[in-house]
Amino acid sequence: MNCRLPIALTLLLAPVLAWAGEQAEFSVITEGGNHLQISSELSPLAINLMHSWRLRLTDADGAPVTGALFEVLGGMPEHDHGLPTRPEVTAELEPGVYLLQGVRFHMPGRWLFEFGMTLGEDIDGAAIEFEL
Amino acid sequence: MNKRIWAIFLLVAAAVLVWLLAPAPLPERWTESETALISSLSLSALPPLPPDSSNSTADDERAATLGHRLFFDPRLSANGAVSCASCHRPELSFTDGLPIAVGTGPGRRHTPGLIGIAYSPWFYWDGRRDSQWAQALTPLETHFEQGAGRAAIVRLLASDPDYKTMYEEIFGSLPDPARLPESASPLGDEPGRQHWRMLDPDLRFRISSAFANAGKSLAAYQRKLLPGRSRFDDYADAAAIPQGDTHRPGDSLSRDEIAGLDLFIGAAQCVNCHNGPLFTNHDFHNTGILPVLGQLPSVGRFDGVRLARDDPFNCLGEFSDAAPGQCAELRFARFDNELTGAHKTPGLRNVTLTAPYMHTGQMGTLAEVLQHYDEAPTSMLGHNEAKPLGLSSRQLRQLEAFLHSLEAAPAAAAEWLRPPQH
Repeated sequence: MNCRLPIALTLLLAPVLAWAGEQAEFSVITEGGNHLQISSELSPLAINLMHSWRLRLTDADGAPVTGALFEVLGGMPEHDHGLPTRPEVTAELEPGVYLLQGVRFHMPGRWLFEFGMTLGEDIDGAAIEFEL
Repeated sequence: MNKRIWAIFLLVAAAVLVWLLAPAPLPERWTESETALISSLSLSALPPLPPDSSNSTADDERAATLGHRLFFDPRLSANGAVSCASCHRPELSFTDGLPIAVGTGPGRRHTPGLIGIAYSPWFYWDGRRDSQWAQALTPLETHFEQGAGRAAIVRLLASDPDYKTMYEEIFGSLPDPARLPESASPLGDEPGRQHWRMLDPDLRFRISSAFANAGKSLAAYQRKLLPGRSRFDDYADAAAIPQGDTHRPGDSLSRDEIAGLDLFIGAAQCVNCHNGPLFTNHDFHNTGILPVLGQLPSVGRFDGVRLARDDPFNCLGEFSDAAPGQCAELRFARFDNELTGAHKTPGLRNVTLTAPYMHTGQMGTLAEVLQHYDEAPTSMLGHNEAKPLGLSSRQLRQLEAFLHSLEAAPAAAAEWLRPPQH
């Protein structure tokens, strides 16, 4: 799935830039108008540790969006490389709450998460950038 | 007119000389983020060695004792002359001083050191193994390293009375040596592979299990090889004060070494990959290292992931003690073209004692390595992640001076650093 365009739009229209360290929870309005909140199970965030995240996807009215299929990409644009691992959403833990496993950051600096979502017939996208 | 030209020339020459040789200005105080970075590199920030869920005997003293004997035993090779310690020499921080290893034959890669490597989730320059015990097995079956093959290793364990007693106390009974062929391995030469195919499947499984246990014992031993405190660690712990002075009387580092540290965590960007208390992120990067003459460029991690996935001794394999959920590194390993030409970031503790450098020993000195990163040449395969730095020669020397401050004797009992006393 090509989710680069919606991600680029999201970055322009609803950028979320948060400083990690103490905080390991970010949220963004997706290109399709949904609300994506992500929180790390590793808090504070740190490099070189494999860990999981929880993704909470709700619609504009706050209702959970269930059955979404995720593709998670990202990396360090400043260093021109992607994520060091291939994270996967492995379960929907409760309606609208998804488990993202297999995340490890290996460098300090600015990181980008790109989420491509298939919601039935629709596609959606979001990007979240943070400093580590 | 001529005088004016000479004066301009001399001024320019003097400016160039000052830029090349003058000390880089050292800030008076570390910033908060610099202090945090420096502290993150200290050995005081190193957590206890995490358990290896794939190896239930990883922290068993008996397995470490057995592994210690195996590590120094040349009988674990096809020609009876090459032990693990032949290439991983304790007096050279468990390296061999050679560009490319020499075992029973000429090797393919530079021998990496072993101090603190138990913290790594991946082994080999391309990460072709996902545990220390799976790594330890590989040279035993590689024809140009030790090449004994698994049946010969298990025969040795079963026929040497000391090994048999030690092994069976930990792992249970060994196969009857009379049932074991002298050479049989699925990875050996054709006669060895034929012997392997002719064995009863149950015996094949028992041989592979015992062979895996030999690797687990070797790993238990190598987990004892931990890094010791260096002068840098003393400095880092003393400097762990918000807005602390960069240089104070009685510092364990010289001004040049501190300036090198400033570059390491700043302008030279070394800390991007050489991070954490072991000065490595245990990951894989393409930094434009050229192949040695006569070799094709190594595809590095691109092949390494595939080999790790195919390895029957990996975390998800039948000889692993881990539950599948404990194999996150392997399950979520990245596998695509971006990893072409990427090789593992080596740790830097004692790096000044382990020349030459890079995955095939391409660079003889640290000065060459630093020059390479300063220039960041185009990669022959994939793309070089590093960018040119434009450092002065003085700055490069300061970086090298800083690396000397990481020298330290291993924090391991003396008996682990020499052959076992029988």
